[in-house]
Amino acid sequence: MNAKPPAIRCQNLVKIYEAGGQQVTALNGVDLDIAMGELMMLVGPSGCGKTTLISIIAGILDQTSGGCELFGENLLALRNKDKLLFRAENIGFVFQAYNLLPTLNAAENVSVPLIINGVKRAEAERRAKQILDKVGLGARTKALPAELSGGQQQRVAIARALIHDPRLIVCDEPTSALDHESGQKVMDILKAVALDHQRVLVIVTHDARIFNFADRIAEMDDGHILKVVNSAAKLK
Amino acid sequence: MKIKYLLPILASTGFIFATYTVISGSQPMPVAAAVVEPASAPFKAFIAGSGIIEAQSQNITVGTPLSGIASSVTVKVGDKVKAGQPLFYLDDREAKSAMAVKRADLAKAQAEVNVALANVNESQALSRLAEAVSDKRAISAEELLKRRNTVLVTKAQLDSAKAAVRQAEAGIADIQTTLDRMVVRAPVDGEVLQVNLRPGEFAQAGGLGTDLLILGNLEQLHIRVDIDENDAWRFDKNTKAVAYLRGNRDFKFDLQIAYVEPFVVPKKSLTGDSTERVDTRVLQALYRFDRKQSSVYVGQQMDVFIEAPEFATAHRAGNLTHTGG
Amino acid sequence: MNHIALKMLMGDKGKYLGIVMGLTFASLIMTQQPAIFVGLMARSYSFISDVGLPDIWVMDPKVQFIDDIKPMQDTELYRVRGISGVEWAMPLYKGMLKARLTDGTFQTCNVIGLDDTTLIGGPAVMLEGKLSDLRRSDGVIVDIDGAKDKLGKAAASPDGKNTPLKIGDSLELNDRRAIIVGIAKVTRTFQSQPVIYTTYSRAKAYAPRERRLLSFVVVKAKPGQNLDELTRRITATTGLAAYTQDGFKQLTYNYFLKNTGIPINFGITIALGFIVGTAIAGQTFYNFTLENLRQFGVLKAMGASNGTLLRMILLQAVLVGSIGYGMGVGIAALFGFLMRHTILAFKMPWQLLLFSGAGISLICIMAALISIMKVIRLEPAIVFKS
Repeated sequence: MNAKPPAIRCQNLVKIYEAGGQQVTALNGVDLDIAMGELMMLVGPSGCGKTTLISIIAGILDQTSGGCELFGENLLALRNKDKLLFRAENIGFVFQAYNLLPTLNAAENVSVPLIINGVKRAEAERRAKQILDKVGLGARTKALPAELSGGQQQRVAIARALIHDPRLIVCDEPTSALDHESGQKVMDILKAVALDHQRVLVIVTHDARIFNFADRIAEMDDGHILKVVNSAAKLK
Repeated sequence: MKIKYLLPILASTGFIFATYTVISGSQPMPVAAAVVEPASAPFKAFIAGSGIIEAQSQNITVGTPLSGIASSVTVKVGDKVKAGQPLFYLDDREAKSAMAVKRADLAKAQAEVNVALANVNESQALSRLAEAVSDKRAISAEELLKRRNTVLVTKAQLDSAKAAVRQAEAGIADIQTTLDRMVVRAPVDGEVLQVNLRPGEFAQAGGLGTDLLILGNLEQLHIRVDIDENDAWRFDKNTKAVAYLRGNRDFKFDLQIAYVEPFVVPKKSLTGDSTERVDTRVLQALYRFDRKQSSVYVGQQMDVFIEAPEFATAHRAGNLTHTGG
Repeated sequence: MNHIALKMLMGDKGKYLGIVMGLTFASLIMTQQPAIFVGLMARSYSFISDVGLPDIWVMDPKVQFIDDIKPMQDTELYRVRGISGVEWAMPLYKGMLKARLTDGTFQTCNVIGLDDTTLIGGPAVMLEGKLSDLRRSDGVIVDIDGAKDKLGKAAASPDGKNTPLKIGDSLELNDRRAIIVGIAKVTRTFQSQPVIYTTYSRAKAYAPRERRLLSFVVVKAKPGQNLDELTRRITATTGLAAYTQDGFKQLTYNYFLKNTGIPINFGITIALGFIVGTAIAGQTFYNFTLENLRQFGVLKAMGASNGTLLRMILLQAVLVGSIGYGMGVGIAALFGFLMRHTILAFKMPWQLLLFSGAGISLICIMAALISIMKVIRLEPAIVFKS
């Protein structure tokens, strides 16, 4: 652990959803610090609040109370426009269902974050090809998502999350839909290509096969963090 | 990805075709030009009317004073005739034979004058003889008186015989007049427009269904213009007027007023159709024009424009005269 | 982002075609049906356009439309001629007369009597013969449609085609002989009766005996005349009704609009086309947006602003709108083109292109608006829900 201030600091985070007059507490006082260069996994049963927590960390959901600072910024205090800009520059997303645009080929899909950030199309696609090279798909840049296997699609998604060089990558169940081998490969790539000392990875998963890729693992239940351990073995 | 280009191309083609349809469809149907350009008035405000050409003298329907068989017709259509020139002759044999009788009567009357004259001379001689006898006993008073009376009687007989001569002469003059009347002569200088009489045909004196012979003076033609009674109040005979020949508006005639028919008549057909309906009355004005300008024919129709005051101003003027009156 | 929006749209060919076809259909109905309507209405005054040459039509004040003949006295012609500003004025007879054909059948015809001298108002397109042939005795000109069909000599067999009339054939009009001296092409009229052209005086002879026979006086204004002023002057001077050519067309047009059910019938068809088009195209487009909602969510999560997404949807709407519109009007025009030799009335003025364009725009704007509302209200957090 470094002495530097943490990349992400959550203090007493509370999120209450209101649905049909009923209040559902998704997060009930979460405290979590994540350091730069760290790969943090959030684990726990369904409905424990993992997704809510990364949504708030990624700035696409506002908390009900408590503080959440991302690289020293309090996203809640930012104006909508600045929040969008912050998100576009600093955050990459990897989803369980890949969420690639089905009508765009691999390179085009990867280039989307750059285009959102205002990079010219030709330049964006050139850089997309480089990144695809890095994730081992240099030969499939023209392929549509439907023509790729699940693991390949997820690698495209990782390339997309990486292309604009964000400081935070959030991954939601990146391996759940993949077989063991593909999952391992995806995690290998994530760890090898994505993670460096200038970046934080937060991965939500309950895929026990990949726990050993984590630097730290936070176990959650009922909107709380039960414990934070630094190796999978300590979870049991 | 062919569809990426195909649809926009189809759409553009469709739009261009629709635009073409719009443009070609908005072109109006061609309009038929007039076969001949219609005449138009050279005046700002005017009265328009149709006119028909007639001879200045109007058209003279020559009649015959006596009925009879035409023996010869000495003119034909188009002949120029002088006043007094014979046009046609009626059969005059009957009058001529009557003439011979009258002449014989005259000779007889003249002979009787001679007889009467001889008687006068004789009685005068006898009377002078008796007067010359100075001895009253040589001749009785009775005898003397008788001789004097004989002179008077024979003188009276001479007068009577002279009167008979004059009577016979008058008879001849009468027949001569009849003979003259059997020669129908031109009443004016003019042109023969129509001849409906041929030798051998019976020429009926009096009003006829057909005209025997039509004569007119074509040196100066008149044009009779019908002016609708609704426009008559705007008509001023001193304004300018022009006429255009139908069928070619290059034939333009300047008109001078001749006279205006004082009586407004029902409009007669000027379109030549016998079934023309009379539906209004018209004022007829007659204009002179020089026919030498070009060939026009009597009976031809023309479009006539007569300069007239603007409707509005004329209207006002009309009101003024009303109030003034 | 534009190319991404286009790829999103065109990538799914089935849906893309569906939207475009829906809009094409709507655009087709909104162009073709009004075109038939306009064509039909234009026929009501086609005779006025065909005569063309005169600027002003003078008629009895009670005349309601072109076929409503209320004859005037012949002398009215000269009264109109006498009005200042009138270049020329010509008589025009128009009436329905029965023609007796060689086989003894009767056919009601539209008889047009033209000024004897100038023949103003005659047909512009002579297929056979010349207009001036009307000067020949008993000469008439018939229109080609009439000559081929209604006036043609009956075929030997009941279902055979009539033998068309040709030059030299004769007809009987009111017991008077009429010799065909020419065949003309005229725009179809509303009633589509055969048209017979002849001279004014001959038309009067054909017409039944009436005191008044002058149907119209057609007037050409002197150059530079203000037509409206001249019509007012004619009316003031003669007490007759005077309309400019366009004014008379308008009068006729309005009469048909007011007194026939045509506008309502076509209005309903056009409205149905609009509704069906909106339903199909709007629905498909909205569905398309709904199905791509997750993609929009992803873009939103990745930092794309609402404005960007709005532009994307608008671009998609404009694209499908213009393609559907172009294809629709194209098919409508093609329809008109293919039908040009039939009895169908079809006329596409430029206003019609604007009309269907506006209709399609409305459909697209409505569809896009609903989609945009949905996307703007979208919470990016849905991207983590599987």
